[in-house]
Parts: sequence; structure tokens; C-alpha cells
Amino acid sequence: MLSSAKHKINHSAFSVSSLSYPLPQSHSQADNMTQVTMEEVWKEINLASLQHRQLNINHEPMLSNQNPNNSIFKDFLNKPLNQEPPPSASTTLHRSLPPPPETVLSLNPRSINTHFDESARFGCFGKKRGGQDSDESRGDRRHKRMIKNRESAARSRARKQAYTNELELAVSHLQKENARLKRQEEQLKMAEATQHQAKRKLQRSWTAPF
Amino acid sequence: MSVHTRDPLVVGGVIGDVLERFTRSIDLRVTYGQREVTNGLDIRPSQILNKPRVEIGGEDLRNFYTLVMVDPDVPSPSNPHLREYLHWLVTDIPATTGTNFGNEIVSYENPRPTSGIHRIVLVLFRQLGRQTVYEPGWRLQFNTREFAALYNLGLPVAAVYFNCQRDNGCGGRRS
Repeated sequence: MLSSAKHKINHSAFSVSSLSYPLPQSHSQADNMTQVTMEEVWKEINLASLQHRQLNINHEPMLSNQNPNNSIFKDFLNKPLNQEPPPSASTTLHRSLPPPPETVLSLNPRSINTHFDESARFGCFGKKRGGQDSDESRGDRRHKRMIKNRESAARSRARKQAYTNELELAVSHLQKENARLKRQEEQLKMAEATQHQAKRKLQRSWTAPF
Repeated sequence: MSVHTRDPLVVGGVIGDVLERFTRSIDLRVTYGQREVTNGLDIRPSQILNKPRVEIGGEDLRNFYTLVMVDPDVPSPSNPHLREYLHWLVTDIPATTGTNFGNEIVSYENPRPTSGIHRIVLVLFRQLGRQTVYEPGWRLQFNTREFAALYNLGLPVAAVYFNCQRDNGCGGRRS
């Protein structure tokens, strides 16, 4: 399913480029065509995985004012640091922007929620045009926050696990001791019983007339 | 009795952050009021205002032990740049007795974490002899490992830790 979606997007991407450079002569035709294809495109994007978006964006023409937004989209998609782009993308489409992880993160946009809230349409392209610096610091802060959160989560898991282990050890220890004490009790009871019988004999001997 | 990496002291990071791996050989019983401290227990500052009762095992009354109580997560577990904080230091504890019979050279200061969930660790060391341990100059940035090396205390013979956070929730995120 992944590969077929990629194909669809490749087709749509070329239509998208026609939208960016409107051809005046076949305007109406282009409009109809582009309407359909744009919808198609956005549908694909919404359906496909994050990596497919990356393919689409790389096909789009490199308008200067779109560049930051492209990067941001890509960075947005690349947010999980260790996630690798699909092999086909890396070979054929990554001609312009091979992002090292730092710059990817530095252009990281705001949270995922804001993207989807803005209906993930052209509105997004216009939004992220703040200075490069604030983008970077925002990205850095997000990155640091993410790392801190991860560490905190790991500590929390360790805390929980340590306590559980302690309880298990205690339970096991108490079970063994319980068993031991029960055995001991049994033995003591038996010892007392035999002793009692022995005592009775003794008593008899005591009451024997002298 | 360390069960490889399932040992709570290892899982909780106490072995690693504060101590080396060791083998328990002496009983250590720490009790705050009615609560006995077991590894990983959650105890609030209001429950540990006063020093706990500490009873140790061993057999020979001629052996003396040192108890160290530290917080390795100061000022916060996510940024413990002041690790460790020395809360209590009692030396010359004879075997089979408790801290009441020892020498409290750093008085008990009740933990009051402000940020995050802190681990509070109590460690027992065997001394080479009597009156061979001296108090450090300050509580902050204490290093249990170095302290043990300095006084030839060797590896711990017992340890226990609990978790402590503010009474009204763990203090949330700063910055």
C-alpha cells in the first residue's frame, strides 16, 4: 500500500507544480485540473504516511518563499530523530536538502496540533515565516524538552520497576519464612505430643506407691 | 542477596549513581514511626521530620559501622548538579545495635525536596576501627564513594532507599 500511494503522489506532484506556475492560456482548464489534482494531492497526503509527504514536497518547485516551509514540513515529519526516510526518497528525491539532524531540528515548527488545527492546507505555508532564529530556539527548546521528558519517563519506569521487584523479593522471602515457620510449628507440636505422652508415663511412675 | 539486574537498588539507579555493586552482609532496618523503609517506598516529607530508628545486624560487638544518608537528586532529579546532599552521618555504631549507640557527627536534617521525586539513600559501611571517621565540611556535593575511599570503608554492607516528593505534589516542571 505504501508504494502505490507513493506513485499517486508522484503524479499529483507534477500537477501541483502547474498550479504554482499558472499558465494563462489554459487558465480555466488548468483550474479544473488543478482543483481536482490538488484535492487528490491533499487526500493522498492525509492518507499517506509522513514519509510520503516528504516525497511530495521535494517534487514541488523550489520557490524561495516556500523553502522554509518545505523544510519545516520535512522537519515536522522528521521529528522522531531516528526515523529514517524511505529508501526510494533518499536516492531519487533528496537532491536539494540532505538535512543533518541539527538543522532539521532547528527548523522544527510548533506542535503537531497546531498543524492540524490550521486545517493543514495552504494556511500552513504562510504561517511559519517567523525569523529563522526564533524557529531554531523554539526547536532547540522543544528538543530539550523532549529529551527531558524521556528521561523523566525512564526514571518513572525505573521507580515503578524497582518497587515491584522489591515487593516480589519480599513476597518470596515471606513465603519461604512462612513455610519454614509452619514446619517448625509442626515439629514442635509433635515434639510436645510425644513429650506429653512420656510425661504421663512419668506421672504414673510418680504415683506408684513407694 | 543481589538478584543480578533485578535488584531494586540497581533498577532504581542507586547502584550506579551513588554506590558500587556490593553484597549485603549486615541487616539494616530503618523505621520511621510505624513504617519500615523498604526499597522504592514513597514517603512524604511530613512523615520523616524526625530521624528514623535504625537497627543493624552483625554479630561481633567489636565491629563498628557508619551510616550515611544522602539525597543524590538535588536540586532535582532531572538536573542533579548538586549531587549528593548529606542528610545524616552516624559513626561508631556497634554491631547488633542502632544509631542511638553511635556517634552522630552530622545531625539529621529532614529531607524537603522542592522539585521532582528524590531518592533518599541510607548506606551502611563497616569501619576499620573505632573513631576513624570525621565529618565533612558541608552537606552539599557530598560524594559517598569518595567518602568511603577516604576512610577505607570499602564497599557497603547494606543499603536501602526510598522516594520522597513534596507533600503537595512533586513540584512540577521548572524552566
